[in-house]
This record gives sequence, C-alpha cells and structure tokens, in this order.
Amino acid sequence: MHPPAELSMSGVILAVDDSASMRQMVRHTLEGAGYKVVQAADGVEALERAKEGSVDLVLTDVNMPRMDGISLVRELRALASYKFVPMLVLTTESGQDTKLRGKQAGATGWLVKPFNPEQLLATIARVL
Amino acid sequence: MLASPIDTADTAEMQTARAWTPEQQIANMLELCGVQMESALQDSDVAVDALIKAFTSVAETARVMNSMAEQLPAEARQHIEQALNKQLDEITRQIAAAVVSFQFYDKLTQRLGHVRYSLSSLAQFVCDRAQSSERDQWRRLLNALRRLYRTEEERKIFEMITEGISVDLTTTTSDAQQPPKTGEIELF
Repeated sequence: MHPPAELSMSGVILAVDDSASMRQMVRHTLEGAGYKVVQAADGVEALERAKEGSVDLVLTDVNMPRMDGISLVRELRALASYKFVPMLVLTTESGQDTKLRGKQAGATGWLVKPFNPEQLLATIARVL
Repeated sequence: MLASPIDTADTAEMQTARAWTPEQQIANMLELCGVQMESALQDSDVAVDALIKAFTSVAETARVMNSMAEQLPAEARQHIEQALNKQLDEITRQIAAAVVSFQFYDKLTQRLGHVRYSLSSLAQFVCDRAQSSERDQWRRLLNALRRLYRTEEERKIFEMITEGISVDLTTTTSDAQQPPKTGEIELF
C-alpha cells in the first residue's frame, strides 16, 4: 500500500480544482505518497492560500469560477516567491491552443485528466 | 385591488395563448431537457460524494493495515510475507483503478454542463425568428458552441456531427472491456 520508496516524498502541494471529487482524488493520491496538501476551489482562493504560506508545487485545473487555472499560473509567476515553483496543469482540455496559453503563462507541464496516480506522482517527483 | 380567481385564470390563459409559438414550444422542450439533466446530476453528486468518502475510508484502512503488517516481528512476517505482499499489491492496483474511474464522473459532469449550455443557447436562438432564419447566424452559433467543447471526445463528436458524418459510438468511445484510458502528460 505504501508508495515505492522513490515516490515517497515530502513537500507542500497546492491542489486547485472546483470539483470536490477531483480534489478528493488528488489529495488521496498525494497524501498517500507523503506530501502535505493544501486545497483551493478556484484561482482566487488558490492565490490567497499561496500567499499565506510556502508551497513547493502547484497543481491546478483550468476551467474554474472566479479565476481560471491559466490566470492563476500567470498571477503566481508575477510573485517573486513563485517565480521558480513548478506549476502543473491538470485538466480535461487537450487542445493545443489552450496548452500553448498555459505554457506562455508559465506552466511547467500539462496533464490531461483522468490521471493515473502512479504517473502523477512520478511527474511531480520529476519536476520538484 | 386583488383580482378574482376567474380574472387570474383568464389572464393566465390569455398569456399562454399569446406566448404560443412553435419556437417557444421548442425552447420549452429544450429547457425541460436541460433541467432534467441538472436535476439528475444534483442527485448523482450526493451519491458520488458518499461513494468517494467510503472509498477513501477503505483505502485509508488498507494503508493502516499495511503499516501494522510492517510492524510484525520478522519471524511472524516471514510466514505471511509473500501472500501479504500479493494481496497488498492487488489492493494498490484496485485503488489506482478506482481513482481513475472516479475522475470520469467529473468529466461526465463537465460534458453534461456543456450540453446543457448548448441546449439553452439553442432555445434562445430559435426564439428569435429573424436570427434563426439566417444561415450565417447558425454558423455563428455553431462556432460559439465549438469553443465550448474542449475535451478530445467532445471535439471529435462535434466535428463528425457538424460535417454530417453519422457517429458510431463504438468507434468514438473507449472499449468497455479495456481499463479506462488515462490522459497524456507533457512537460514544457
């Protein structure tokens, strides 16, 4: 049940998604691997959480009320403390245009839902 | 001054008669479909939430049992190690499969939300007779709806339908016998 040793990590991950069930799945996967998870339901809340404390990685959805994930990445990149923090986008969107917008905003990578827990953990370990 | 019940009934009847147009009937039917979908989704949300809570609880129990097994004295563990590891690997595999499957509900909610928005846009569109008789306006509506469909599956179906190709769901959807397909990963 424990993740393989190479995937047992520590660090704080900010998980952003407007779907409660998605947040549950992400939290379950990340906490199981040893990460501490801070959750937010949209970009505005995520920005507040990010400013409150230190976050090692941001994992965000794209389509959310109030502030979308790409705007969140852009806003965070403008903060000195988040200039080099890895930011992964986890979304159902696979269109090249949106992906390019994410890349230009400063995202580190793009993951299309549904995620495979093992692959998500391996990707996070790679960019952290 | 309060209206008598008879006056009220007459007014309602007159209003209904005034509002009756084929376009309004189509709009009402589309609205009915949208609300039925929304209602079913709200019921499902409650059930899925309960299911996810149960799942995370079971997964957590399995994790605790694994920790307990690791603390067994080496001698005791030796006898059961192989069988135990086999069972734990199987649980890990099943949990990972469940995590992937649960995400399809999120995708379903999102896709039905797009369908609902499309129905509502169409309802408004058909009620405007001047607009709906213009071919160019239909093209604009389709373009607006195209932007709405952002997942690969939605786009594929949208393109096929708008190009007049009949959609064979056995070729556009996943094989039910195969494990659900997970998404692609790209690092920039």
